[in-house]
Amino acid sequence: MRAQFRSRIRFILFFLILAALGILLRLYFVQIVHGQAYSDKADRQFASSDSRLFDRGAIYFTRKDGTLISAGTLETGFLVAINPQVLSDPETAYAAIAAATSSIFITRDAFLSATAKKNQVYIEVAHRLSDADGMAFAAKNMPGVQVLRERWRYYPGNSLAAQSIGIVSYGSGDTLTGQTGLEKIYDGTLSRSGDSLYKNFFAELFSNVGNLLVNAKDAREGDVITTIEPEVQIRLEYDLKKVNQRYSSKESGGIIMDPSTGAILALASYPSYDGNDLRSVDPMLLGNPLVEHVYEFGSIMKPLTMTAALDAGAVTPNTTYNDTGCITVDTKQICNWDLKARGVIPMQQIILQSLNVGAAWVATRLGQGTFRAYFTTLFGQKTGIDQPNEGRSLLGNLAKPQQIGYDTAAFGQGIAETPIQMIRALGALANKGAMAQPHLVSAIRLNSGIVRSLDWNQTTPVFSATAARETTQMMTALVDQKLEQGRAMIPTMSVAAKTGTAQLTDGRGGYHSNRFFHSFVGFFPSYNPRFIILLYTNDPRGVEYASETLDATFLDLVHFLIDYYAMPPDRGFATSTPS
Amino acid sequence: MRNPFSRFISISPVSLCGGIVAVLVVSYIGLIAVVMSYAALTVEFSQSVKNVEATVATLESEYLAIVANITTTDYTAKGYTLPIAKTFVPAKSVTALR
Repeated sequence: MRAQFRSRIRFILFFLILAALGILLRLYFVQIVHGQAYSDKADRQFASSDSRLFDRGAIYFTRKDGTLISAGTLETGFLVAINPQVLSDPETAYAAIAAATSSIFITRDAFLSATAKKNQVYIEVAHRLSDADGMAFAAKNMPGVQVLRERWRYYPGNSLAAQSIGIVSYGSGDTLTGQTGLEKIYDGTLSRSGDSLYKNFFAELFSNVGNLLVNAKDAREGDVITTIEPEVQIRLEYDLKKVNQRYSSKESGGIIMDPSTGAILALASYPSYDGNDLRSVDPMLLGNPLVEHVYEFGSIMKPLTMTAALDAGAVTPNTTYNDTGCITVDTKQICNWDLKARGVIPMQQIILQSLNVGAAWVATRLGQGTFRAYFTTLFGQKTGIDQPNEGRSLLGNLAKPQQIGYDTAAFGQGIAETPIQMIRALGALANKGAMAQPHLVSAIRLNSGIVRSLDWNQTTPVFSATAARETTQMMTALVDQKLEQGRAMIPTMSVAAKTGTAQLTDGRGGYHSNRFFHSFVGFFPSYNPRFIILLYTNDPRGVEYASETLDATFLDLVHFLIDYYAMPPDRGFATSTPS
Repeated sequence: MRNPFSRFISISPVSLCGGIVAVLVVSYIGLIAVVMSYAALTVEFSQSVKNVEATVATLESEYLAIVANITTTDYTAKGYTLPIAKTFVPAKSVTALR
């Protein structure tokens, strides 16, 4: 009995060993002999994965209803590589690859020179083939030509908010990292280490239980949710392109922001670039001029000067002054835009008629120390917006004792600020005197599923709510009475605005007499604003004043936002109003 | 009377160890199978998610292109006219469109 049992055991053991040897032999052939072929085949299969495939978190726009729309995501397709040692007929291979792809492909000369490099075994020649193209081309099985899986960064909106979203590229290293915009600022959140799929669950279970339960990467890696509303962004970009082309401007830009929270709904500059096609992009366009560049904004500075004077008690809305049309300060002459005198007029007329002499008078009345203190609070610090390379304002004239520097600063000449600094400062008028912190990202959606809201609640009080309201009344009167000779008035919506026209510097310490920088700021509803809009166009041709270039753009955006957000009337409610 | 468990008790230590080894081998192979399946499924699901995301991105691209087209179309040039009047009605009105 026992002998029979032993013989059975040995028999079974023999078969087990035989089976094991068979499996080992099979594994040897699969993994060692044909390993590369299987690996290549797996790379081509849709359901395979490869640790070399690029991975990165997504960036989202947020629609008005909270729906997330991809601003930056990943696309999957194929690349084509050649092995010059195996490739025998380069001309045929080139023709076949060129016929298979309409994507990024090197030139014929570059291809032929690549095939001549017989000491190399792998040279990539085409990228970003679609699935259909890649599959069809792989089926040809051309010797010396490999078709491999590839994943890349894809921006569904193409050029939409490109300068804010940014790009990824190799930079100075051998890894794709964020180089500009949000891609750079949130690179730590968007980057993926790529090993999470390849760890052994059981090994982790026994060796590192803590890490399995609370993964540090899951608390760091995630997707970025922006405050940018895609339809508002599209509208702003369209309007800016139109104004830029119409007046052959050097550049145009605009920001739409919620003044109470600092959330930016749209931020655009023209010209821009397509994030999906960087082959012929001017490197100068890769930055974000709204954050990095400084400009002299002109008369949209006057409301800030006025509010500072009202807040400091230097003037009241009923204070009057004698406007002589031109004044001489430190041997320099300051004049109104039309060189005309107005006589004795109240403060409101300085805003309504955009009077340089009046702004200079207010600055003198305010005093250099007080003026400097207000403007340093408004523009002395960077805004802290989540964009790289934020520029600093140029306030050098306010550090000098000459009054001319303060008088010109009062109407926005001689000092320069970034557009983002400008909208933050002007946002204080719309936010009861306090500046909100402008930002583009509202939350991070972590890999763990948790949505972590970012804290942008810090505000900087500058003016009293009363002073801000008094200036708002002046700006609202400007829209109702002056803008387009009063035709711009919306009976059911109060809108506060101010235009600005600044002379451009000539690079030799002076100013051009016939080249200008136009700006426009406005917010609405005037006394409980939901939106503040800042627009500018740099060096428009054949036109002198911002009221001629940007008023139509501003009003188009106002009407669009009222309709799009179904904003209820805030005044003069009527059952029927002219369109 | 013969003890019914006697034949089990009489198993030699070698046989017992052999049995235990067999059980451990089967368990080990099972664990490997589970780990491999887990890894394969994880990779497959992950890839599947990426593929779906890519498909969604294509749809989102179409959506954004359509919105851009709506924005940039000059409807006046296409023969449409602006509304003569915009009318506000109380939300509680029975005639208010929602």
